[in-house]
Amino acid sequence: MDGFWLAALKVLIAFALLFNIVLVLVWVERRLVARMQNRIGPNRAGPAGMLQTLADGLKLMFKESIDPRRAQLGIYLAAPVLALIPALLIFLIIPIGAPITIGDTTYDLQVTDLNIAVLYFLAMSSIAVYAIVLAGWSSGSKYPLLGSVRAAAQMISYEAALGLALVPVILYNRTTSLAEIVAAQGGTFFGIFPAWNIVLIPSFIVFLIAGFAETNRAPFDLVEAEQELVGGYHTEYSGFRFALFFLAEYINLFNISALTVVFFLGGWHGPVFGPTFLQYLLPIFWFLLKTAAVIFVFIWARASLPRMRYDQLMEFGWKRLIPLSLVWIMVVMVAVGLRRFGLPWS
Amino acid sequence: MIDYHAILPEIILALTVLAVLVTDLVTKDKYYAAVVGMAGLFATMIPLLTLALCDDLAGCSGELPRVLFGGSYVVDQYAVVLKAVFVFAVFIALLLAVAYLESDRYYEGEFYFLLLAAALGGVVMSSSRDFLTLIIGLELVSGPGFLLAGWRKGDERSNEAALKFFIIGVTGLALLLMGVSLVYGITGTQLFAELAATPQAIVDEPVFALGLLFVLLGFTFKISAVPFHVWTPDVYEGAPTPVGAWLSVGSKTAGFVGLLTVCYLAFPQVSNLWGPALWLAAILSMTVGNFVAIQQTNVVRLLGYSSIAQAGFILAPFGAAAAAGADLQQAFAASVTYLVIYAVMNLGAFGVVIAVGTRLKTYELADWSGMYRWSAGLAILVGAFFLSLAGIPPLAGWFAKLAMFSATIAVGDIWGYSIAVVAALNTVVALVYYTKVVKTAFFDPVPDTIDVAALEGMDVAPPMQLALGITAVLVLVLGVFPGLVSTLAQYSSEVVTAAGL
Amino acid sequence: MTIGDWLTESANWAFLFLAIPTFVASVMVVSSRNVVRAVLYLVIALGGSAALFLMLGAEFVGWTVVLVYIGAVIILFLIGIMITRAPLTKSVDLSHPISAKAPAALLSVLLFGVVAWAVVESFGLETIPLPEEATRTGEIGLSIFTSWVIPFEVVSFVLLAALIGGIVLARKDEPAEVP
Repeated sequence: MDGFWLAALKVLIAFALLFNIVLVLVWVERRLVARMQNRIGPNRAGPAGMLQTLADGLKLMFKESIDPRRAQLGIYLAAPVLALIPALLIFLIIPIGAPITIGDTTYDLQVTDLNIAVLYFLAMSSIAVYAIVLAGWSSGSKYPLLGSVRAAAQMISYEAALGLALVPVILYNRTTSLAEIVAAQGGTFFGIFPAWNIVLIPSFIVFLIAGFAETNRAPFDLVEAEQELVGGYHTEYSGFRFALFFLAEYINLFNISALTVVFFLGGWHGPVFGPTFLQYLLPIFWFLLKTAAVIFVFIWARASLPRMRYDQLMEFGWKRLIPLSLVWIMVVMVAVGLRRFGLPWS
Repeated sequence: MIDYHAILPEIILALTVLAVLVTDLVTKDKYYAAVVGMAGLFATMIPLLTLALCDDLAGCSGELPRVLFGGSYVVDQYAVVLKAVFVFAVFIALLLAVAYLESDRYYEGEFYFLLLAAALGGVVMSSSRDFLTLIIGLELVSGPGFLLAGWRKGDERSNEAALKFFIIGVTGLALLLMGVSLVYGITGTQLFAELAATPQAIVDEPVFALGLLFVLLGFTFKISAVPFHVWTPDVYEGAPTPVGAWLSVGSKTAGFVGLLTVCYLAFPQVSNLWGPALWLAAILSMTVGNFVAIQQTNVVRLLGYSSIAQAGFILAPFGAAAAAGADLQQAFAASVTYLVIYAVMNLGAFGVVIAVGTRLKTYELADWSGMYRWSAGLAILVGAFFLSLAGIPPLAGWFAKLAMFSATIAVGDIWGYSIAVVAALNTVVALVYYTKVVKTAFFDPVPDTIDVAALEGMDVAPPMQLALGITAVLVLVLGVFPGLVSTLAQYSSEVVTAAGL
Repeated sequence: MTIGDWLTESANWAFLFLAIPTFVASVMVVSSRNVVRAVLYLVIALGGSAALFLMLGAEFVGWTVVLVYIGAVIILFLIGIMITRAPLTKSVDLSHPISAKAPAALLSVLLFGVVAWAVVESFGLETIPLPEEATRTGEIGLSIFTSWVIPFEVVSFVLLAALIGGIVLARKDEPAEVP
């Protein structure tokens, strides 16, 4: 197949997948949180309320989109789109399954494999901050502005931790391509334990925590702390524009969970058996299963942890997570160096 | 394998910089940070000496130049001498700063840290033989300078000085980088040794000449030569005075190191291009600097303009020789001679200005009247340093001037003679304002506003005494035995060509 | 090679597609009247230059520009503007008198002209082939830690000095202001 058409097809499939995932995700979250809070949750639209998200989406689409009088209209309209774009772009580099060989050609189950995918991911997530900053600023209103300044400060602080958490992974796997990082987690330790990067436990923890902050989810959701800020940076957005922010948020949640799996939980690796078609499908299944598990942790945290105070959040980021990551990087560096080159005097 | 002996000075200095930071963190008495810094500076001198005297030492092998990292980092005689100059300059600046900072509420440990970091930049620069290392070293010299200039946070003039210095400094850097990128684009290399061997066809390309022009402009910012000198007096005046001392010597030396190495090692084949430019900058700097200095009533501003003029004198032999196409080596030695002597006497001059300033709380020349009455010692030091700057024997300055004149005349040609004449005229002009300061201090009556009795009782702080003592002795010794510095300069100039080509 | 030939190559169209917006945006950065908009134009300009790096096969540099400049430096600009000037929708006026604008504009046009002339004169329209796989991240890493280790280490001191000095200058002093 021609390279261009193949890529186009992949992009199309990726988008379709992503939007469907979000539909399910929102429903799952609402049901789960309801369960944990001893409620029932949406259960009317469709079987067990599964179509509730779709109904909400349709409702938002048909609602009036209000332009605040003091808004900087151009930027105000661009911000929601800007929120969605990096979220969609990050998904392009995630390998969701083992490469499939049909005939002579091998198809990678990721839209594109950059050889510096890690850098790309960090770059994209740093671009995502713009949407929030601009949305808050261009709304021409006080609370969104405060919310967006908070959000931006929070996101760039935790982005540092996020990036530092990935350095040990790069050192350990000696590659910055996601496909290769997953491939490097193939074998086993002592023949029993899967050789996932989860051995880099401090990195995993830092990455997960920073992931919470990056996606602005509880307990780091002060960006939209209702008690203080009405609704955060998107207070002034309504209708479809609000839906775009909402969409971006859930895609980001999925992305960060999927990347946690890719970086630390062995990606699509898992026991594979059976006929050929099963060998192709199982990796995808394992990948989705692991991602679902991480997403469950995210939802679980939201339902059970109280929101942090702003100063606690900043202190935790700069005075705990970042020093911890730096020390851990040094440890991993020495370990990897010893493994590769032996003792310096030998 | 890396030659660790060759980069030992850098390693020790880098560790010192970090040690100062840690000392500041753990001690209550911030004074210790400076002590640690000075100890580190002494320790840095040791490998410099063993590198220079390696042949005579037991158990030391390998002689200079030591070439590291494929020629991008070279430790030769020139580098060793310049490193020693940087270490010396920062040592004196540190001594001056201790007394100054202790006298009021300043952030101390961070100050020493930044000063030493700047010295590290200078030390790295002296050895760098490619643009990347050179520019990063230069940044490490100027970056702390920007910050130190604003150290008097409550003082608006200090804020202004920092901002002005920063903006002008980064503009210069931007020009420099632009030039380097053009040169790199056309030649495909940024190693000096390879640039010097650029084929003629590429040298003739306009991009090469333009790149060279930008590089020169960038450095003229750093050495505060005319036409990019306007920031100098404002910054020296606004910044804390010890910072002014460091900027006028350390930062300026860094600029010269960069300019001389780049011109001499990277672009020797186009000396007909940069020679006249430097020649012109030299003439303009000394003339403008001196004539404006005459009108100054503030001693620090006066030193600012005087340093612009001195930059012109330093450039003169090198620019003239290059413009005339004469032998660069002698001119190079003369410029280095002048640079070394300038460093010593300007640090001394700033030192005495600080010593007087901490007593008087003002730097206006009018208040210096009759200093002899209330402190003969300081007045004598004022005389020593300012007359040395003017070039009066037997103080070191005369030999600097002599070296400069003999080198320019040795060049011959219209380039050499004309600049010698301009320099001679300028020396006379400079004499006017340097002697004016000395005359004021010795012979003018004490103004009524000054309480002589109170001033007589004040002592000069011990670190300040040490700094003044060292520089005063050096000014005398180098003036009486000029062979010392000329040997040093010859020593530094001979090998640089061998290493570069 | 003539301009006509030059335009037949699709890569050159891609170049123009990136270069023209970059250029326009950089002009808008200095001519825009509103600080926030100026900063946003700067983002476009930097994004364009990052894209040009990518086009030249310099992946690592390109993404680093996005990550460091767009993702960190400019965001800090924005935060700085928002928490100090709080311009909500009010524009902060940046206009200068024409007497200040005209010489600056003239100087920049002259500078651009000279550099452009020199570059065209020296390089012309010739195609300079890209070295194959010249910028593999691993190789960049290796060369940083072997032949360029000194500048690399020195840069860390530059950053450390900037950090410490910046904190000192920016922090609020305890009682009694330094005179």
